[in-house]
Amino acid sequence: MLDRRAVLGAAAAGVLAPPAWAQKPGTTARMRTINAMMTDEPAHLNYPLFNTRIMQEICGNINESLLLFDWQFKPKPNLARGYEMAPDGMRYTIHLRPDVVWHDGAPFTARDVAFSCGVMLPQLNPRSRGAFSHLREIKVVDRYTLHFEMNEPFNAFILSLMASSAPMMPAHIYEGTNFRTNPYNFKPVGTGPFKFNRWSRGQYIHLTRNERYWRPGQPGMDGIYYRLCPTPEQRLVAMESGAVDLAMADDIDTVVNSRMVANPDIVARSDAFNGTGEIAVMEMNHRRWPFSDRRFRAAYMHAINREFLVKAINFGLGKVAHSPIPSDLPYYDDKVLTKYHYDPARARALLDEMGLKPGKGGVRHRFSIMMIPDGGGYWTRAAHYIKQAMSEVGLDVALESTDWPTFSRRSGNWEFDVDCNSYGQYGDPAIGTARFFLSSNIRKGVPQTNIQGYNNPEVDALFAKAAVAVDHAEAQRHYSRLQQILTHDVAMLWMYERKPMFFYNKRLKNVIMGPNGPADGFGSVTLA
Amino acid sequence: MNRLSYIGARLVKTVLITIAVVLLSFFLIRLAPGDAATVMAGQSGYADEAFMKSLRIEYGLDQPLPVQLWKYVKAVAQGDLGTSYVRRQPVAAVILERLPNTLLLDAFALLLAAGGGIWLGSVAARRPGSAGDNAVTVLSMLFYAVPQFWLGMMMVLVFAVWLAWLPPFGIETMGADYTGLARLGDVAQHLILPGVTLALYFLASYARLTRAAMIEVADQDFVKTARAKGLSERQVARRHILRNALIPLVTFAGLQASILVGGSVLVENVFSWPGIGTLAFEAVQGRDNPLLLGIFIVTAILVSLFNLITDIAYSIADPRVELG
Amino acid sequence: MGFTRRFLCRPTAMFGLAVFLFIVAIALGAPLLFSRGPFSIVGMPLLPPGASGLLAGSDVLGRDMAVGLAYGARISLLVGIASTVCAAGIGVLMGAVAGYYGGWVDDLLMRVTEFFQIIPSFVLLMVLVAFLQPSLASTVIGITLVTWPQVARVVRGEFLSLRAREFVQAARVLGMGDAAIIATQILPNALPPIVVISSMIVGNAILTESALSFLGLGDPNLLSWGSMIGGSRSAMWVAWWTTVLPGACIMITVLALNFIGDGLNDALNPRARR
Repeated sequence: MLDRRAVLGAAAAGVLAPPAWAQKPGTTARMRTINAMMTDEPAHLNYPLFNTRIMQEICGNINESLLLFDWQFKPKPNLARGYEMAPDGMRYTIHLRPDVVWHDGAPFTARDVAFSCGVMLPQLNPRSRGAFSHLREIKVVDRYTLHFEMNEPFNAFILSLMASSAPMMPAHIYEGTNFRTNPYNFKPVGTGPFKFNRWSRGQYIHLTRNERYWRPGQPGMDGIYYRLCPTPEQRLVAMESGAVDLAMADDIDTVVNSRMVANPDIVARSDAFNGTGEIAVMEMNHRRWPFSDRRFRAAYMHAINREFLVKAINFGLGKVAHSPIPSDLPYYDDKVLTKYHYDPARARALLDEMGLKPGKGGVRHRFSIMMIPDGGGYWTRAAHYIKQAMSEVGLDVALESTDWPTFSRRSGNWEFDVDCNSYGQYGDPAIGTARFFLSSNIRKGVPQTNIQGYNNPEVDALFAKAAVAVDHAEAQRHYSRLQQILTHDVAMLWMYERKPMFFYNKRLKNVIMGPNGPADGFGSVTLA
Repeated sequence: MNRLSYIGARLVKTVLITIAVVLLSFFLIRLAPGDAATVMAGQSGYADEAFMKSLRIEYGLDQPLPVQLWKYVKAVAQGDLGTSYVRRQPVAAVILERLPNTLLLDAFALLLAAGGGIWLGSVAARRPGSAGDNAVTVLSMLFYAVPQFWLGMMMVLVFAVWLAWLPPFGIETMGADYTGLARLGDVAQHLILPGVTLALYFLASYARLTRAAMIEVADQDFVKTARAKGLSERQVARRHILRNALIPLVTFAGLQASILVGGSVLVENVFSWPGIGTLAFEAVQGRDNPLLLGIFIVTAILVSLFNLITDIAYSIADPRVELG
Repeated sequence: MGFTRRFLCRPTAMFGLAVFLFIVAIALGAPLLFSRGPFSIVGMPLLPPGASGLLAGSDVLGRDMAVGLAYGARISLLVGIASTVCAAGIGVLMGAVAGYYGGWVDDLLMRVTEFFQIIPSFVLLMVLVAFLQPSLASTVIGITLVTWPQVARVVRGEFLSLRAREFVQAARVLGMGDAAIIATQILPNALPPIVVISSMIVGNAILTESALSFLGLGDPNLLSWGSMIGGSRSAMWVAWWTTVLPGACIMITVLALNFIGDGLNDALNPRARR
C-alpha cells in the first residue's frame, strides 16, 4: 500500500533532481553497451533487400562479407581467409574460414556463399546484380572452397565483395523461400560479432554479443542498442547528454556542427564514410526539353556557387565535385575534367544561345525541382539556395515537397524535371558509377538506376571495357576518357563530395577502423 | 426523456457518427495517389510490377472499392483496424500503445488549465475593472494569440537550452530504463514543459469563462440574499458563486477534452512526445492509410464518449437542464 | 454612428487596429522597402541581429531575416483573409439555407457540422494538404474546409430566429422570392455575428497556416513565418533569433486581430457585455 505522501515526495524529488540526462550511464552493464540511434525505423532487417545507411549500420554487425578493406582499398581477409585470381582474370578461388558458425549454430560453408552470390543477392539488390552479372557460374569445390568462374575478367570483382555490397546470407534459412516475406527478415541471422536479440517496435533494436564469434578478442562490448530518435534536435540532445554514444552522417544537422566539434566529450571524424564515396547530385530528366540540351545543363552548373553551397549551406562539410568519381578515390583524373565554375554571366550567355531569352518578368524558363524529403534539413536548404541561384539567371524554379514513397515512385517512373539525390561509389566506378550512365540500366519503375535516360554508346562501350581491363593502367585510360566525356556532356549535375561527420563519445575507442566506417560493424569497439 | 434512454440514444448516435467517419475517411484517403504497394516499394528502394501486384492482392487492394469498404467495416466492427503499411503491425495495437501517452499529457494539461484558469478567473472576478483584472484579461488575450508550437519551442529554448532545468524531448530519458518511482519522477520531469505548453491556451479560456460566469452569477438574486443573510464574502464566493459558475465550465471541459484528443499534434511534434499526435503525423508522412483511418476512428469514438459524459455531467450539475 | 464611437472608445481595439494596419502596411510595402526578395542570400548564415547591418540578423541560409519577416506578413495575411472569405462565403450560404428552410436540409447541415466537430480537424487538415500536395492553394482550401462549419452554425442560428420575424412575413406577403428575402432582408440583420466570428477566424487561420508551414506542409516555394520557425528547429540551439522573431510576429498579428474582434463584438452587441 503506497503512502500517498511518499509517492508525492518521491515524485517531487524526481522533479527537483538535476536533469537525468546530465548523468552518465552508471552500472557496468550499461557501460559495456554501445548506445546508438536510428533516425527512423527500418522496414525490415533483410540487408540485401534495402541497402540504406541505417541498414548498413545495424546489419553490418550481423551480416559479414567475404573481405574487408583498408584505408587504401586493399582487401583484407574476413570470412574468406584468402583468395587467388587466375592470371587471365577468369577465375577466382575463394578459401573460407573453417571455424565460422551462424548465430543459430549452423556452420558457415561454401554453400552459403554460392547461394548468396549466385541467387539471393542478384535477385534482391540492383548493385549486386550489376557486379555479379559478370559471373558465369559459381562452383563449390569443397566445404570451404569455391571457384568463381567469370564471363570476362572484371577487375572490380574483389571490391564488389565489400560489406555493404555483398553480405553473406544463410542458405539454410533463405534457400527455397520467398525472400521478401521470410520471417527471418525481422530476426536476422548472420555470422557477425553481434547477433539480433530484440526489436521493440517504435523504440529500439537490441543486438547482443556473439559469444561464438570467430575473431579472437571480439566483440569488445556486450551489446548495441539502436534507439529510435526521429528528430535532429533529439539526436543532438542525446549526444550531448551522453545518452547515446554515436551519431553518424545525417543524424545531426550540420547547423549545430560547431557545437558538436567544440564538445570535449565527443570525437569528430570526417573520414568514416570514405569507402562510400558519396556525391550529392542533381539529376535531370533527359527526356524533357530543355534538359536534353547540353548547354542548358552547363548553364545550370555555372549558375550555382558550389563553394558557397559547401561553405555556408553545409557549414563547411564537403568538397566541390567536378567528376562522377570522388577526388580521393582511385581513377579520379583531374586533368581531363571540364569544370563548371560559378559564372552567372556565362550561364546567361549559354541560355541566350539556346534561344531561352528572358521573357515576361525576366523569366527564361520555368521548371520544378523534386526535393529529398529530409524535413527541412540541409537538403531542403540546398534546394532553396539553388532556387535562389537559378532566379539570378532568369530560371524560375518551383520546389516540390514529397515524402519517401512519392519520391521513389516519381523518380523511378521518370515523373520529374530535376531531382536531388546522392550516390555512393562503393570503391570502384564499375560498381557505383556505371549504373547511372549505362543505357542498359534504363529501367522504368526502378529508382537508383539511369533515371535520367542518358544514352551514349561510346560511354557504354568504355564502361564495359574498363570493367574487364587487364591492368590498372588500362582501366585508368578508359576511366579518364569516361570522365572527360561525362563532364563535357554534363551527364549528371555533380554538386559536392559529401564528407559526413561521424561523432562518437570519447568513452569508446576503435570505433572507425576503415573507410567503410560503421558498415564494417562494431566488433572492434572497446572502452577507452 | 429519462437519463437511461437518453444515454442509449446517444450511444446509438455515437455509433452512427463513427460509421459516417469511417465512410468519409475511407473515401477521402483513397483519393490520394499511391497506395500500399507504392509505400512499400518506396521502403524497399524499388519494386517490380510483379511484387507490387502481389502486395496489392495481399492487402486486398485489387478488389472493387465497395468490396474493400464492406470488408473494412466488418473488420472494424470486430475491433480489427487493419495492418499498418509502414510498421507491419496491427493498427489497433499501435494506437493502443501510444494512446496512454497522449491521455496522460492531455489529462495533465486539462488539470493545469482548469486549476490555473479557474483560480485566475475568480481572482479577476472578485474586483472587476481593477489592475489585477485587466492584467488577467491581457494575459488571456496573449495566450490566445501565441502559436502553440512556437510557445513549445520557446519553452525548450529557455528551460532546456539556456537554463538546462528540464529535458527538452520525449517522455523518458533515453536508455536509462528506470523502473518504479524513479520512472515516475522521470516521466513527471518530461511532462512539465509539454503539459504547460498545451495548457496555456486553454487556461486563458478557463480564466475568461470563470470570470464572466462569476460576475454574472454575482449579480443574481440568490447571491444578494446570501449576502443579506450575513455570509462573508469568501463564503459567498465559494459556496454560491463558484459552484453555479461551474456549469459552463463543465461544458467547456468536455469541449476541450475533445479538442485535445486530436489537437495535441503540434505540441507532441515539438516535444517529440510519443503519442497519437506524432503517430498521426508519421502516418500522413508515410502515406500509411490504415493507420490514419484507425486514428480517425478511435479519435471519433473517444470524442463522442467525452461529449456524452459531459452532457450527462451537465445535466446532473444543473437539474433544470432537460435531456434530449 | 454609435457603432464607430463604441469601437473607438476601447483602447485595446484601437491598439489592435493600429498594429494591424501597420502590419498590413509592411506587407503591402515590402517590395518597395526592400529591393531584393526574401530569398536573396545576403551573407553568411546565422548572423545575429545587428551584424553586417542586418536588423534582424540572417537565417540558416544567410538570408535577411528582416526581409523574410516582412514578406512572411504577406503570406499570413493572404492566407488568413482568403480562407476567412471563402469559409465565410460557404458558411453563410449553407447556414442561410439551413436556417431559412429548416427541415431535412437543416438536419443534414447539423450532422455535417457535428462530423467536423468530432473528427480531429487538424489531422484532417494535414491529410488534405499532404494529399493535395502542399501549396498556397491547398492550404487555403484545407483551412476553408475545416472552418466553414463554425460560420454555418452561427448563421443558421441567426436565420432560425430571424425568419419568424414580422419583416420577413411582410416581405413574403409582398411577393418577394426566397432568395431575395434571404439576401436583402435577413442577411443584413444577421451581419453582426458574422463579422465578429469572421474576425476571430482570421486570427485562427493565421495560426493554422503557420502551424502547417512549421510542419513542412506549407508551400515550399514561399517563405512564411511558420516555415521560418520550422526551418530553425536545429538552428535555435545556436541562433535564438531565428525562432523568436517570426513567432513574435505571429503573436502580435493575431493579438491585434483578437483585440479588433473583441472591439467589434462589444460595439455590435452592447447589451451582451457587462
